[in-house]
Amino acid sequence: MNRRGRLIAVDGVDGKAVNAAAKAAVGAVARARRGGVSFWDASGVFGELVVADEEVAGRPSARTLLLLYAADLAFRLRWEIRPAIAAGRAVAAAPYVATSIAFGRAAGLPAGWLKNLFAFAPKADEVRILDQPSPRTPHPAGFVDFSCRRLLANGHGLTRRQLADRVRSHLKIGAR
Amino acid sequence: MPQSAAPLRQLRHRARRHFGGAGRRGLLIAFEGADGSGKTTQRKLFKTWLKADGYDVVTTKWNSSDLIKPIIKSRKTVQALSPEEFSLLHAADFRHRVEHTVLPALWDGQIVIADRFLFTGLARDVARGLDLDWVLKLYQPLLWPDLVFYFAVTPDTSSRRVTTTRTPNFYESGRDVTDIADPVESYYTFVQRVIREYESLAIVFNMTTIDGELPIADQHHRLRELFREGQTRPWSEWNVDAVAEWLAVSGNGR
Repeated sequence: MNRRGRLIAVDGVDGKAVNAAAKAAVGAVARARRGGVSFWDASGVFGELVVADEEVAGRPSARTLLLLYAADLAFRLRWEIRPAIAAGRAVAAAPYVATSIAFGRAAGLPAGWLKNLFAFAPKADEVRILDQPSPRTPHPAGFVDFSCRRLLANGHGLTRRQLADRVRSHLKIGAR
Repeated sequence: MPQSAAPLRQLRHRARRHFGGAGRRGLLIAFEGADGSGKTTQRKLFKTWLKADGYDVVTTKWNSSDLIKPIIKSRKTVQALSPEEFSLLHAADFRHRVEHTVLPALWDGQIVIADRFLFTGLARDVARGLDLDWVLKLYQPLLWPDLVFYFAVTPDTSSRRVTTTRTPNFYESGRDVTDIADPVESYYTFVQRVIREYESLAIVFNMTTIDGELPIADQHHRLRELFREGQTRPWSEWNVDAVAEWLAVSGNGR
């Protein structure tokens, strides 16, 4: 019998911890049903931003970063998540939509705009929110850290950890 | 809002005070229409005329931001974009240009001529099968131009003008959604959809329609008349959120 696959959304502020938790979530599934992990920036959009000269081109705002996140997620859905589900496998998204919505809320963007932005993304079968503090390492991985650094480069008087902690708070609020 | 210490209400007040006062202010003028409608020719003539008349003019083109354009270009080259990705990346490019080119120029009192504006995204994305409401909201907070010139041509005219000089590329011809292998045939099918969406948008958003089939000089003189009539319009209150958010994003330097 061809069973329907499952989408496990793993969200959190610490990109490395999210990736590890997503791998563990898929690893706990029977081998024949493992569909892998869909990681942030599978499309390479953010990698290309890193090499862009933002001093000349201008730094992206929270809205721009979220539009790019949504484009990357559309890519991941098309090439990684939907095919795995269609094949009856369990696939983890690391992260999925909750992290980016929390980032948007922490950056002051309206909830309605964020909801519309991710309207194309199907609801996950299971959502795991990692309630961990933002990492203390100087170069943690992941969308939240990447984006916080760019917003703070515009000079807004917050530290990266303070902004990341706001994202964490919104993530907890969103999970309720 | 971490992007600025100033509450949004104060920023809205600054926006109204800056743009709503008496005297000359920055103007945003959009040129819209299907490929081959003649809008770029008219945009160039119009800009030359404005500059000769002493105006300070800035031009912004569709899909032209230094930050996002390379990302879109590389994906177009390998024909790797779904309609959603196509839409979202162009909305990102647009947002970046609004924040870094359009609003700074308007704030400084310049005339901004946009060779395609958000209506291009709406017409093309809806022609690709996406939902109009979803696409429109991607562009929020909306920035409405003071004048929108829509250059109306038939699908036959657009197709003839575009395909007599070159072969339309993969996305221009809509081959990602038409399932037609021949670029010229696909272009004709796709541009019919695009023009149909433009015709609806022109009514809904009260664009000024220019007959793109008229001689070039006639169209240009019509634009001059319309500009003279339209340049004294009051600032649109609809734009207050877009300006306030930009002030927040760009810090307190302004």
